[in-house]
Amino acid sequence: MQPGGQQAAPGASGMLELDGLRRRYGDVTALDGLSFAVPPGQVFGFLGPNGAGKTTAMRAIVGVASLDGGEVRWRGAPIGQEIRRRIGYMPEERGLYPAMRVLEQLEYLARLHGLTAAQARAAALSWTERLGLADQGQAKIEALSLGNQQRVQLAAALAHGPELLVLDEPFSGLDPAGVDAMSQVLAERAAAGVTMLFSSHQLDLVEHLCQSVAIINRGQLVAGGAVKDLGQAGKLRITVRVAGDDAGRWAQDLGGAASVENNTGGAVLLALRNRADAQAVLDRARAAGPVEHFTFERRKLSEVFRDAVGSAADPEADAEAGRGAGAEGGSRA
Amino acid sequence: MTTHSAELIRLVAMREIRDRARAKSFWVASVILLVAVAAAVIIPALTRGSQATARVGVVGGQLAALTQTVKEAGRVSGTAVTVIPLPGVAAASRRLRSGDLAAVLVGDSEVLVKQQPVAGTSSPGASLPGALSEVGGLQRLYALLPPSAAAGIANHGIALPVHGLIPPPRGLASRITGLAAAILIYVIILTYGVRITIGVGEEKASRVVEVLLTTLRPVQLLAGKVIGMGILALAQIAAMVAAFLILGHAVGSAAVQGAATSVVLAGALWLLLGYAFYCTAYAAAGSLITRQSDAYNASIPLQLPLILAYVLAYTVLYASGVNWFYHVLAFVPFTAPVAMPVLVAVGAAPAWQLALSAAISLAATVGMARLAGTIYERAILRTGSRLRVRQVLRSAR
Repeated sequence: MQPGGQQAAPGASGMLELDGLRRRYGDVTALDGLSFAVPPGQVFGFLGPNGAGKTTAMRAIVGVASLDGGEVRWRGAPIGQEIRRRIGYMPEERGLYPAMRVLEQLEYLARLHGLTAAQARAAALSWTERLGLADQGQAKIEALSLGNQQRVQLAAALAHGPELLVLDEPFSGLDPAGVDAMSQVLAERAAAGVTMLFSSHQLDLVEHLCQSVAIINRGQLVAGGAVKDLGQAGKLRITVRVAGDDAGRWAQDLGGAASVENNTGGAVLLALRNRADAQAVLDRARAAGPVEHFTFERRKLSEVFRDAVGSAADPEADAEAGRGAGAEGGSRA
Repeated sequence: MTTHSAELIRLVAMREIRDRARAKSFWVASVILLVAVAAAVIIPALTRGSQATARVGVVGGQLAALTQTVKEAGRVSGTAVTVIPLPGVAAASRRLRSGDLAAVLVGDSEVLVKQQPVAGTSSPGASLPGALSEVGGLQRLYALLPPSAAAGIANHGIALPVHGLIPPPRGLASRITGLAAAILIYVIILTYGVRITIGVGEEKASRVVEVLLTTLRPVQLLAGKVIGMGILALAQIAAMVAAFLILGHAVGSAAVQGAATSVVLAGALWLLLGYAFYCTAYAAAGSLITRQSDAYNASIPLQLPLILAYVLAYTVLYASGVNWFYHVLAFVPFTAPVAMPVLVAVGAAPAWQLALSAAISLAATVGMARLAGTIYERAILRTGSRLRVRQVLRSAR
């Protein structure tokens, strides 16, 4: 199912590299020297505000957008038509023939990716089965619900057994069951050694699902790496709750050791100056009353995201790059 | 790599063919076109054979002998005849013009008919006037047998001259066939062209093209599309030409046996040339749109030249004859697919002109394919507002 799956240059196996990608659409700079690498076998999230250049970057990887500069490499070699047959791509604006039947469509796309008629048939059947579309095989795409169209789109990206998956907003428009099915498939593909890049705005979902992320803004990488490392960077936080003190009065004067960031019904979120101050804060809390709750907080991905992207994530910037580029925005529901 | 590329193009073409062949409209249109061709061939043959009794006037000479001649001619041509004695040629002409009489035998000198027949399209015995002239000539031969007559017979044959009161139709069958060819060429190129525009527009608007182009190069997708459609168009043309030739021979149609066959073959050739020239342009038009509903409008500029050639064809076929303007149109690749078969139908295009026009069309087809391919490649992935050709040609993909 994976034609040409043999390893290429040592050390470059299954590695997707974006190297200095540049692209302008008129006055809009979609990609401004974007560089990062996606290792194999991980669920890798691709984040950024609308208009940051995610879609343009993904389109450049699969070869449907040209670059003004830079290079995309797969296993150390520039991506050409031969390699593209081994990529599975799910565009942000879904693309299927509205009047074509599900199985026929999947078979056709799989054959374009180099499968024989028999292989394509088998793959189409197994993926429709797998994604709960077994009854819909003879249905026309336009007759399906949006969620099911989405599943067909995923099946189309997977049917030819790709080594590299590029999925633009695979979760948008899915119901919770669809999100679970999609998450499961992505985790399973990653476990099977597939290299995977997917974009999303659902940061909680990404945090839960991804091992690594790349966050971009204005066409450049602004943060990236393993999710757990990103969560530990920056200020250290703790949440403390002292019984009977819903106003968090005990924490009002902690000197320079910590500052209150938030208080939800007595659960006080504190930013610490350094790790050693945690014990001093705990001592103060115990002095004020029985401590019911004490945890070190990892930063949530959404906070990492907001810090990295900063004020640039305003809506005005979004609309701009969406136009002309045909890249971002559009009919995201 | 080239076999791989051919395989991809084949897959695309097969999808197009399956897609169209499944559409009911395709079969309805095919049947209508075939029925139209069959009707055009069969109906004239039927009406010709259904003439029950022909009224033949006789003028001068001995009535009994002339009646005998007319009856014999009726027998030879397989026509029942009624003999109408008439006082003179003037009266005979009047009744011929009114359609009251099929023919008039004037003594032993000539046969009058309303419209001069086309020379050489059928054997003399096949039609009543032809048989009249034959039999009448034989009667005269028997009557006077001086040796001098032998020389005249040797030189001119025995048939009496057939004179029409109004000029001959100058290949009426050929003109009618020319008009039919012009209509069909116009209809087929427009139908398939607009179909291509809509198909390309659909791929672009539904964004499926973004998935397709991860494995296909734009030129491969374009080629597969126009080849698939072209195969369907070719099959439809072949079926119609075959129906024309087979039915025509079966019913002994004068149109098939005469000059009209050359019009049909020229029509088929220019239909192919026209499709080849226009198909990529229609695809480029489809690549410029962003909404499905724009597809038809985008194809209109490409329809105009053929509409012009088609409308002017009526003036050439029925009215004023070939003017220099229409002659020029027959060499312009945009209008030649309709204009050149029309020129062939009226006998105004010698072989070298056919060859020259075909060569110009082929060369222009190469240029058009390059230009359209470039537009298509650059426009097919661009969304937003509808694109203009110049804007696309200035930009990169």
